[in-house]
Amino acid sequence: MKLTRRDLLKLGIVTGGATLLPGRPLRLSHASSSDLGPSPPTTPFVLELLPGRGIPPLAKPVSRFSTRPDPTDCVNPDGTTAVHVSGPRVVPANTKFFLIKEKPVVHSFHPQLPPAVLWGYNGQIPGPTFAAKSGTPFLVRFVNNIPEKDPVGIGEPITAVHRHGGFQAPEDDGYPLDTFCTGQSRDYFYPNVPEGGLQQNQHSTEWYHDHTIDITGPNVYRGLAGFFLHFNRFDTGNENDPPPALGLPSGKFDIGLVIQDKQFDQNGFLVFDDFDHNGFLGDKFLVNGLIQPFLKVARRKYRFRFLNGSNARFYELFMSNGQPFVAIATDDDLLEHPLTVQSFRIAPAERVEVVIDFSKFKIGDEVFLQNRLEQDDGRKPAELVGAPTPILKFIVDRNPDQPDRSRVPDVLRPVIVGPRELLPRVVAQRTFEFNRSDGAWQVNGEFFDENRISATPRRGTAEIWTFESGGGWAHPIHVHLINFFILSRNGSPPPPLERGRKDTAVIGGPEFGDVKVLIPFPERFTGTYVFHCHNIEHEDMRMMAQYDLLP
Amino acid sequence: MTAARGTLLALGLVALAAGCGGEPARPPAAASTAGPPDRRALIRDQHLPNVVLTTHEGKRVRFYDDLVRGKVVAINFMFATCRNACPAATEHLLEVQRALGARAGRDVTFLSISLDAERDTPDVLRGYAQAHGIGPGWLFLTGKHDDIELLRRKLGAYELDPVLDADKTQHAGIVILGNEPRGHWKAISVLSKPVRIRQAIERTILPPSGWPTGEAAVNEASREVHDAVEPVDLSDLPAVD
Repeated sequence: MKLTRRDLLKLGIVTGGATLLPGRPLRLSHASSSDLGPSPPTTPFVLELLPGRGIPPLAKPVSRFSTRPDPTDCVNPDGTTAVHVSGPRVVPANTKFFLIKEKPVVHSFHPQLPPAVLWGYNGQIPGPTFAAKSGTPFLVRFVNNIPEKDPVGIGEPITAVHRHGGFQAPEDDGYPLDTFCTGQSRDYFYPNVPEGGLQQNQHSTEWYHDHTIDITGPNVYRGLAGFFLHFNRFDTGNENDPPPALGLPSGKFDIGLVIQDKQFDQNGFLVFDDFDHNGFLGDKFLVNGLIQPFLKVARRKYRFRFLNGSNARFYELFMSNGQPFVAIATDDDLLEHPLTVQSFRIAPAERVEVVIDFSKFKIGDEVFLQNRLEQDDGRKPAELVGAPTPILKFIVDRNPDQPDRSRVPDVLRPVIVGPRELLPRVVAQRTFEFNRSDGAWQVNGEFFDENRISATPRRGTAEIWTFESGGGWAHPIHVHLINFFILSRNGSPPPPLERGRKDTAVIGGPEFGDVKVLIPFPERFTGTYVFHCHNIEHEDMRMMAQYDLLP
Repeated sequence: MTAARGTLLALGLVALAAGCGGEPARPPAAASTAGPPDRRALIRDQHLPNVVLTTHEGKRVRFYDDLVRGKVVAINFMFATCRNACPAATEHLLEVQRALGARAGRDVTFLSISLDAERDTPDVLRGYAQAHGIGPGWLFLTGKHDDIELLRRKLGAYELDPVLDADKTQHAGIVILGNEPRGHWKAISVLSKPVRIRQAIERTILPPSGWPTGEAAVNEASREVHDAVEPVDLSDLPAVD
């Protein structure tokens, strides 16, 4: 189904960018405290996602270094220095060490827009992708090399790194007040093991991003986000491995795709509205930092790890030819069985992994990844609309070099200890209402306080938590450290794509309603972790609470 | 006139800070060159209309020129007869002002803007300020209804639901913190603990190297544990597969 330029013109996507579509188009205006007008038009599908541009490189380990705190300049393995604010750490002998620098980067979102000065991990947008093998811990030193003087003014040069979905100690979790500034560095230890050594507790797709108090929204918007992927003896990262390896598409056929929205001024410069506390929306859709790019694919299967890295926008993604997706994972967990879906909805911070098979296409065919979910403001998405916005174009341009041996087995990750096994072990229930009150955000009628504990579960026990939304707003609720099972949504069994373990669950409005989640608290860690709305503007206004995991 | 400004005019997008009649036109943030927008000018044009207000001391002032330009500000909306969030908000800000000591007025100015312009005359606000023992560096402000509505929207103190938006008690719950020269703005609930508001103000005044963070900042308020546990009741759960 190759579309000619004429077809594209009819669809309005050659000259008009995302907004000029026939029928009832997606309304992209948003109730806002500013009147910036729409972003300038950009021609879609002129930038190709390539390794090193859009497809981030893998983070590479460096030689082992000292983790002593150092009030004077501490020398990094590459000879640069920083004031090191954490440590010392005692880490296992097999730990791999990494050095990542947060620094400015001149980035082009699109050739028709002027370049922007963003902040990237290692100066990359998205940041370098970590690929961890279960059992090999990582010690990652993040150095803040963002200049104190910043002419752009979106975000501030103070950071804390949260590995979202990560199974890590509180001091490694990127607590919003555990920050480091320009010229400072902080180490994060990631054990990269599943809780209890259980195969079902293995992780899959995580992301790391800034989590600084007050300013997570603008700092993430400015570019501080990247993928962190997990592999193990089943999900090996090599499709040629024989069973029991799963054989999922791997290597260059396993691609993380982060979807974000951004807004530009009349001259094409990136803008952000610090005064929009409802949730900032942009009218340009980006994949891996590029506006409406294209990806050349071979006639074979691909594993795509979709991440919604937007501050507040929800998406519902379709293929333009009506082809279904084979979903294999949600958030940080492979599903027990693959699930074929026509579309999937993805809220801020959620991940959905799918396999798309391009083998039935002819060389030269083009197919689009489309969003059909309208959203006008930070409250919640509106309804699906008939006229989609294409976000990414796949161009089928070649036969695979080698036969596609990748597989999608019927069983991906067996759940041995699931709700049926865990329910008899539930020792407590708690309810958290996420509410708007007096123009700000509350959890259970209270405004966030950094020294208030709203739950004290004991490690190794299971609890049921109910998340409710007051006032009809949608909130993607993210609980740090743990993965939960959704027991019910609005009193009914969760929809099929929400039956795997998750770390983020949307609540609110008649559609999402409330959820009951079953949380198996791990044995391994104790201490304070936050849980919060992942509409980042809500989060920055403290729609957050914390639990203390007791021994 | 540049092409960019012409386009803006054609799109009807320029007349934002139009509350300021007779004010000499300001160049928009990035009209004349294709350079990146001056953050400070962009925020001024988009969010800081230069409307005329009157202080509780009876002085006529312009919002941007006289109250915000070059300053760190903590802005909230209130009205003297409000019985909802306002009394607690004023109490919290008083406590913050006391905790800031000499920095209040010097490093940060408090601006409390009345949402009830008709009743809250400068005299009424002066009485309110005196009754609450307001110190220096804190202005209560009133003005034309439409100007204050414009300010409220531009500063982000609005509800998307028009019914809620019409209820002015809804807008008294946040404090908007801005460092105008640095172009950084944020907001938190004014009903947060005063120590948290003070810390957020310090994070607005100071460059990041001076921010109160870490455990010391956490422990500035005493630890509370609100640990509401409900009895386990599995009866209302749907069947598990």
